Amino acid sequence: MAGHETNPNFMNGVPELLILRLLAEQEMYGYEIVQAIRERTGEVVAVGEGVVYPVLHGLEHEGALRSRRKTVQGRSRIYYSLTAMGKRRLARMTATWANLAAVIGNVLGGRHAEAIR
Amino acid sequence: MQKRFVELRERLLRAGVAPRHVRRYLDELMDHVADLREEEVCAGKTAIDAEKAAVERLGPVDQLARAMTARPELRAWSARAPWAVFSVGPVALLGGLYLVACILLWTGWQIFLPGAKTPFVPIHGVAVIYFGVGRMLYWGGPVLVGWALGLVAARQRSSVAWLAAGLALLAFIGGAAQVSAFGPVAPGVPGHVHLWLTWGATPEETMGRLGSAGAIYCFAALPYVIWKWKRRPVSAS
Repeated sequence: MAGHETNPNFMNGVPELLILRLLAEQEMYGYEIVQAIRERTGEVVAVGEGVVYPVLHGLEHEGALRSRRKTVQGRSRIYYSLTAMGKRRLARMTATWANLAAVIGNVLGGRHAEAIR
Repeated sequence: MQKRFVELRERLLRAGVAPRHVRRYLDELMDHVADLREEEVCAGKTAIDAEKAAVERLGPVDQLARAMTARPELRAWSARAPWAVFSVGPVALLGGLYLVACILLWTGWQIFLPGAKTPFVPIHGVAVIYFGVGRMLYWGGPVLVGWALGLVAARQRSSVAWLAAGLALLAFIGGAAQVSAFGPVAPGVPGHVHLWLTWGATPEETMGRLGSAGAIYCFAALPYVIWKWKRRPVSAS
């Protein structure tokens, strides 16, 4: 199942960025985050189902996220939300990513691309 | 708990991941599997197939363990700095307990035995409890700290060598600790209490202190030894 495979080579920092972006909108728990990433990226970016949690724990440890246990429909889950530090981090990472994407886009779409053709 | 989660827990703890992160990670993974199972059932799979698919989607134990152990910030202090947790920490804690014991001895002396040349005299009433707490901390301190150390080692699956070294240090200090009280040198001047380490002036005293150190070591190690013994792999025969 292609949608369930992860793509680690280009993934450095991407899950973190996507998680921060999603949690900037609303608090979520792990399963919701994985599903949201899959849906929003059209299954192009697939975060490993189980490996999203170490990223969440790490971000919480660094102060970018906070967590709380909440019972919804009889099930107790750990919900994550963004802190002020997390918002700053998201802004910084978004700017870096946009910069990088623009530069790579230039390279791929500019004279380098013509040279390849 | 499923066998694969038990295996994952052991691997994470042995790799030095902090127990609280391990516990929460496993809780979250079990919830995640339940959600995936529900999703697969809704998609039309049977309960057995849904369970199989959910476990497969979660990923193999290797991958789940690697994702966690790759994050040094989630490691326990006993893995990051075992020398601190198993030597500096317990010595500081024992020092604190001894300090409290000495304060209790000195204040008890001033409160219940004003004017006495030494606090080591027969006492009655509330004084028994007051001095008793101090005595308990003084005699039981090394063992209590040793039990705490054993608990840390057991929870975090730490190396037995570190625990043994920490307990040896506690036994050494506990066996050599000596409290003495010196009476007032002049009227109106309170006496004072001293705590120091000594292995004794005579071979008999040294042997006695070595015996105390050995007893402290054995008592302090006992709960950990029992825990280890209960967890030993049971042979097929």
